[in-house]
Amino acid sequence: MNYPPLLMRLGIYGRRFCLWLPLFLLWPVAVAVAIVLAPLVLLFALILWRLGWGRLVLLSGPMLLGILSALRGLELNLNLGNRLLQISFK
Amino acid sequence: MGDNQKRILDLLAEKKISVDEAQRLLSLTEPDKDPGTKGPEESAGSKGKPRYFRVQVQPEAGSGKESVNVRIPMALIRAGIKLTSLIPPRASDEVNEALREKGVDFDVRNLKPEDFDELVKALTDLEVDVKGGREKVHIYVE
Repeated sequence: MNYPPLLMRLGIYGRRFCLWLPLFLLWPVAVAVAIVLAPLVLLFALILWRLGWGRLVLLSGPMLLGILSALRGLELNLNLGNRLLQISFK
Repeated sequence: MGDNQKRILDLLAEKKISVDEAQRLLSLTEPDKDPGTKGPEESAGSKGKPRYFRVQVQPEAGSGKESVNVRIPMALIRAGIKLTSLIPPRASDEVNEALREKGVDFDVRNLKPEDFDELVKALTDLEVDVKGGREKVHIYVE
């Protein structure tokens, strides 16, 4: 199983700016929010089931977790003339 | 020496970046020397299952255009394909219709997570080089 990224690095070279965002601090908050929203999601899923969107709403949580977990290793480097922008998930 | 490497050295000369930063950035611009950015022939092919999909857009030296280097984990693509399985049939029809209008005759319902491993295996030897205008696009898996 993949685990969500623990850190996000945002660097702007040319301005000597580098920021490490501790994503692992956000995960407990996200879990708490997910628990609070769970009954609402279930209710929306039941309402939207007939329209065909219920399954999507119901499985949106696990899917979102899967996408967040898959972000680990994503790397983006942009060379904007005199600046280099780097975003990566560790 | 590429345009990007010159720019990095310029930034170093202007003391806008440190030696360590310059070294790390240089290693990113030299796919042959960095184990994290190996070419397809020496990474995916020899190690088996590719883990990343890489897209590089390099402008022609001196053109002054932006360059892009993106590494996308295969797991992220897999998660995206799984997401398509949840799209309701009516929405899938609309997506198919929109694709058909753009000249792409493809049914998104045929995208199944089970087929992903086979697709990844097929991608192992993929290498696309497009040189047009003032930039070069290089797509490969690693």
